[in-house]
Amino acid sequence: MEMLERLLKDLPENERQEAVQYYNDYFDDAGPENEAQVIGELGSPAQVARTIREGMSENGEYTERGYEDARFRDSQELSSDCCEETLAGTSQKKKEHNPWKLLSILLLCLLLLPVIVPLCMIPLIIVAAVLIGIVGMFIGIGVAAVVLPFTGIIMIGSGFYNLFFSPGIGVTLGGVGCLLLSFGILVFLLAIWVFKTLIPLCIRCIVALIRYPLRKAGVVK
Amino acid sequence: MVFNTGAALLDAIVLAVVSMDAEGTYGYKITQDVRQVIEISESTLYPVLRRLLKDGCLEVYDMEYGGRNRRYYKITDAGTAQLNLYIAEWQTYAAKITNIFTGRGNYE
Repeated sequence: MEMLERLLKDLPENERQEAVQYYNDYFDDAGPENEAQVIGELGSPAQVARTIREGMSENGEYTERGYEDARFRDSQELSSDCCEETLAGTSQKKKEHNPWKLLSILLLCLLLLPVIVPLCMIPLIIVAAVLIGIVGMFIGIGVAAVVLPFTGIIMIGSGFYNLFFSPGIGVTLGGVGCLLLSFGILVFLLAIWVFKTLIPLCIRCIVALIRYPLRKAGVVK
Repeated sequence: MVFNTGAALLDAIVLAVVSMDAEGTYGYKITQDVRQVIEISESTLYPVLRRLLKDGCLEVYDMEYGGRNRRYYKITDAGTAQLNLYIAEWQTYAAKITNIFTGRGNYE
């Protein structure tokens, strides 16, 4: 019963309650001893929901064979004539099956477009931002690994040169240069580790991330 | 059954079944009664009852039964008029068919 209620969720509130009450009553009146038989007769909740839904469209009618749509029956008879004109008429008839439903779906899509598009953009933007951030970090580390030792060497050189004119500045420059050089070497080692281990790891992660939805959809095994 | 029960005949049978109880009757019993005369799947009755209700041929009321509310269906005046129309139509229809079958052949 709960399943039936869920399946009828999109029906108007009163229609849904009517149907659910009817089938609740039905099971209660059939009694627990007949429950299995009634379920067997009614079929799955989905089938019951389909019958209720079809009963709500005004075009069809119920006979002992179940649901029959007079227009479909007509169109089937027409198509057996095998004349192009009637065939065109048939497809026409099938197309106008439920113009209101089609129109409302179209309208809903149009109305929701300003909501759906930004919603789809959010994850894209997040992914792009994270990717750009990671790439930026790598570039920063790479540049620092080259620039820091380089600057250190230049400063040591300049300090050595200044030693002859003003020993204070020379020693300071040389000291800072030595610090920069050692720090630069550290960063260089870090960069080597990053490029050797971290980048392939990231790429593997991204590939796995992209593959995940595809595998779920059964495209890639 | 060999013969199909069309929508109008099904409506007529359901109306007749409901009209048998002056106090009104409920979904399960209607289904069982209708199934005494024609083969019909249990899920078919709900849409038929719903339509008859919408057309004003039936009315519903809830009454307590066995500690719960049970929905009862009752025929309206419009429903009785409709049923009488169906019965009259059926009688001429059945008479004509019977005439042909029994070979008297006086069918207009």
